[in-house]
Amino acid sequence: MNAQSQITRAPEAGYNFAYLDEQTKRMIRRGLLKAVAVPGYQVPFGGREMPLPYGWGTGGMQLTAAILGADDVLKVIDQGADDTTNAVSIRRFFARTAGVKTTTRTPEATVIQTRHRIPETPLSGDQIMVYQVPIPEPLRFIEPSETETRTMHALEDYGVMHVKLYEDIATFGHIATSYAYPVTVDERYVMDPSPIPKFDNPKLHMSPALMLFGAGREKRLYAVPPFTRVVSLDFEDHPFEIQRWDECCAFCGSQDSYLDELIVDDAGTKRFVCSDTDYCMQRRDLEEEGAR
Amino acid sequence: MNAANSSQWLQPAFNDPVLDAQTSFRSALKALAEPGLAQPLNRALALENLHPATYALCLAFLDGDTPLWLAPCFDTPAIRANLAFHCGCPIVDERELALFALLDDSQLSDLSDFENGSERYPDQSCTLLVQLDALSTGEVLRWRGPGIKDVRCVELPLPAVFWQQRQARSAFPRGLDAFFAAGEQVIGLPRSTHVLLKAEEAA
Repeated sequence: MNAQSQITRAPEAGYNFAYLDEQTKRMIRRGLLKAVAVPGYQVPFGGREMPLPYGWGTGGMQLTAAILGADDVLKVIDQGADDTTNAVSIRRFFARTAGVKTTTRTPEATVIQTRHRIPETPLSGDQIMVYQVPIPEPLRFIEPSETETRTMHALEDYGVMHVKLYEDIATFGHIATSYAYPVTVDERYVMDPSPIPKFDNPKLHMSPALMLFGAGREKRLYAVPPFTRVVSLDFEDHPFEIQRWDECCAFCGSQDSYLDELIVDDAGTKRFVCSDTDYCMQRRDLEEEGAR
Repeated sequence: MNAANSSQWLQPAFNDPVLDAQTSFRSALKALAEPGLAQPLNRALALENLHPATYALCLAFLDGDTPLWLAPCFDTPAIRANLAFHCGCPIVDERELALFALLDDSQLSDLSDFENGSERYPDQSCTLLVQLDALSTGEVLRWRGPGIKDVRCVELPLPAVFWQQRQARSAFPRGLDAFFAAGEQVIGLPRSTHVLLKAEEAA
């Protein structure tokens, strides 16, 4: 996996830098300014067709294309992994259309486009996270009408979100929502943090990095500036909790990272491994160095 | 002035329209994401009395979709000609129609007609591009809000009436976002930033 990092090529001829035309980039950039000024509010933007289908990260790619510069180092992760199809193809896309350096190592990256995870390695103030978002509206599953949800946001009418969580408690005895867990940003807007596991929600709170969210199909973008209060919704008697495991990572032994469950044989034997491949790799490299 | 003889006013804009616009945008984005911290903005040259930072903001954000309101001191043939040529932005006389406004410090006592968005669409508001002589010679004020870890002390040289006007136009999520540019630097002030005025602190 390390072999594919640090590849720099001349950008492909015939495309504008980072694929999108300048007019589109300016439109997205103006939208991003408003998104940063009103944290958690979904700004509509004129989403463009990208050369891959909706659901593969077209929203995130448009934001990345709008912010990316020649000196940026790009990392792309899909469910924590740098080596899955989605991550590899998006990373290659920007290496080819913008000629930017790419990396798999979190501390080296300046722009990290992600699908459904926040890296375990703490982020810094010089990094920008770009999230791919399938459905940006946290109220959508309760209220299908866009005009209604827009009014609900305007009136700060978020009672139904608590009803939804309460229904979980009534049915299962605990809040069973485990990903795309709704948050309140700076005590105003309720926001869908994209389908990250709720394990990652605390990393949004007062993060030093700027977080940008892009939904390509729904044509919405929103943002959480650095050092912004992001609170997961909960109840006094059912406080917000993150997932915990009794096991540790089978590769690196980490006890505090988000673990994926693997079935390793026909008898159903389970093993657990880190979902963040770069974090796992860094820990194993350290261990090897220590052993030498 | 008519279009036929405006070419005498034209000056070069960004050296590299793509990468210089991107660099300027990233500075502006960082300025707005971390209110009160000055960011470098040096990819453009000065244009008449427009400082490099102010002109770079114009070049990075204005195009045919963004009606611009010009303060009288910037309403010169050269600035009009260059904005028309390099940005193609319509210049409007009505403040209500403007998505961007180019202001100097003499205009800060009245912000009443600039659009500050609606409850449903707070993003449809005017962005103020304010040119100042300097960014750090004013009274020290304490800013807090998203993008600021605790409190940040900022000393923008702004008249007290600006803060009253800003207060009058803000009812979060509605409000005005501003960039303050001087020389080759920019400071962002989004509507989400709470500025503690001396009177409030005493209370």
